[in-house]
Amino acid sequence: MRIILVLLAVSGIPKVLIGQRWERQVQERVQRTIAAVGTSPGLPVVRRSGMLNTDEAASFQATLARHTPYAIIAVCDDDCSRLQLTLLTSSGSEIAKERNSESLPTLHFTAETTAVYGIRVVMEGCRWNPCWYGIAVVPLRKIPS
Amino acid sequence: MDSLLWILRATEQPVASLKRWVLVGLVGCVALALAYLPPRGATPNGGSVFVAQSRWGTPARQRAQALADEWRVADASLRLLRARRELQELLREAKAGTSLVVVSESADVATAAPPIADSAIHVAWRQLGLGETKVRVALIIQLAAASQVHDHPLPDEGRAAYLAPDSTDRTTCIAAVSTGTYWTRAFTGDLRGRVPFEALVQFLKAGLGPCAFYAAYGTPGKSVRGWLVSRGWDLALTFDAGGRGRQGNSPIGMAEARYYSYWEAIYSLPPTAVACIASRPEGCRAAVLAGASDDPAIPFPDIVRIETRWWRRIPRLVEGQRFLADVAHEVGRDRFLSFWTSALPVDTALAAALKRPVGEWTADWERGFVRPIRLGPTPPLGSAIIAVAFAVFAIVVVAGTASRRQIR
Repeated sequence: MRIILVLLAVSGIPKVLIGQRWERQVQERVQRTIAAVGTSPGLPVVRRSGMLNTDEAASFQATLARHTPYAIIAVCDDDCSRLQLTLLTSSGSEIAKERNSESLPTLHFTAETTAVYGIRVVMEGCRWNPCWYGIAVVPLRKIPS
Repeated sequence: MDSLLWILRATEQPVASLKRWVLVGLVGCVALALAYLPPRGATPNGGSVFVAQSRWGTPARQRAQALADEWRVADASLRLLRARRELQELLREAKAGTSLVVVSESADVATAAPPIADSAIHVAWRQLGLGETKVRVALIIQLAAASQVHDHPLPDEGRAAYLAPDSTDRTTCIAAVSTGTYWTRAFTGDLRGRVPFEALVQFLKAGLGPCAFYAAYGTPGKSVRGWLVSRGWDLALTFDAGGRGRQGNSPIGMAEARYYSYWEAIYSLPPTAVACIASRPEGCRAAVLAGASDDPAIPFPDIVRIETRWWRRIPRLVEGQRFLADVAHEVGRDRFLSFWTSALPVDTALAAALKRPVGEWTADWERGFVRPIRLGPTPPLGSAIIAVAFAVFAIVVVAGTASRRQIR
């Protein structure tokens, strides 16, 4: 039930939250982080943002292209102290989890096959609920072999 | 014999017929039954059978009041849920950084808030130290209609209803405050000059209720929220309680112990509240932590209805409406936020924020409003001395008598 509510809330966010200081803060951080890691031209950057109370989680899906290295990054606002990021298969099995980077977890992943993957974010620490978060799935430049 | 002595018998006097009086008695009984027996569906109130008229009215009247109250609850919930949809547009149009939106409503018609009300609530917002907040507040001022429609119960003037952010878009708390006739006249200018502007500010400030806490500290953690929901947010009704002293907004705070009303108010309280007035930490702890549980249930939609007339509330803790505001003031924002969003049980989180056991801190806090009372038997000194003297005298007499009658 809680997850459903979160998903419902996330779906309505872009319309409602324009102008919120914390939303803008997160969008700017996502933008800066994407610029810092660099993107591969031609492939789109998938972005999601939303807000969560402490201990709540949100999930979404993204299609990752085969043999393309991806950086999956998550940022959150100033009141967030810990964010957990998990990459899942389409069946829900965990592939990778990052929970040590506090408010800037990052996962690097190269898919063997093109498929739909799940990305889950958990707000593990937020001192002023709700905390805003932003996620970007950034295709990186392929390293020439 | 009777036929022989009939001449001696006195002449019988004509007696009025009893039938008429029996009929009158039966009609009276039926009338009383109609007046006092509960109608179908009403439950007896448990009052004494020896008391002909309860202080709350006849069962039929109580039943009607209960139905009217149910209607008002349902109506208030519907209004909030309708407002949730209607306010979205207004919130979208609000300029960046706006955390407070005010509208008014009268006879189900939404209008712009009266200028003086808009001004007063923005002053109140600033006085509360609320600028741009993560959770915004949409305040609906429900003005009394000029002409009442009689096809439904009259609106309850002394109530406010709140819709928690998790039941809206997660960032908006909706407060609907019914102003009643007097405050409606004050807001619409009919009482120009007779109601100070500061009084309007205080009225609307109080009307923010739990929404002020949502705005200032965000959505509480699950344990704190479940605790507050289970007890109707009674410890967080006033965000800015002002200075502390023994002149609070309660019959006990205002009355003196030598008057009957003081003790009547004391005896109407729950036992834990009385124990807390007596400065017993375990009583204070129980009064504060009532409703806290390890697995709190939070309803959806999360609607809080509050009786704003303090004289109609029976508090679980005297002056409890300002308890969390005073805790926040005492421990500071950072420590209060740690408590507010904590995943720990309420007693642990609150004790950690206070850096003291909850019962001890609350007992000290309560002494700031109410002079502690003594519980248990307290006979006057003179009576006690006389009683002891009588007892000693009786023992001496009995002992003396017994010793003289002993057979040696």
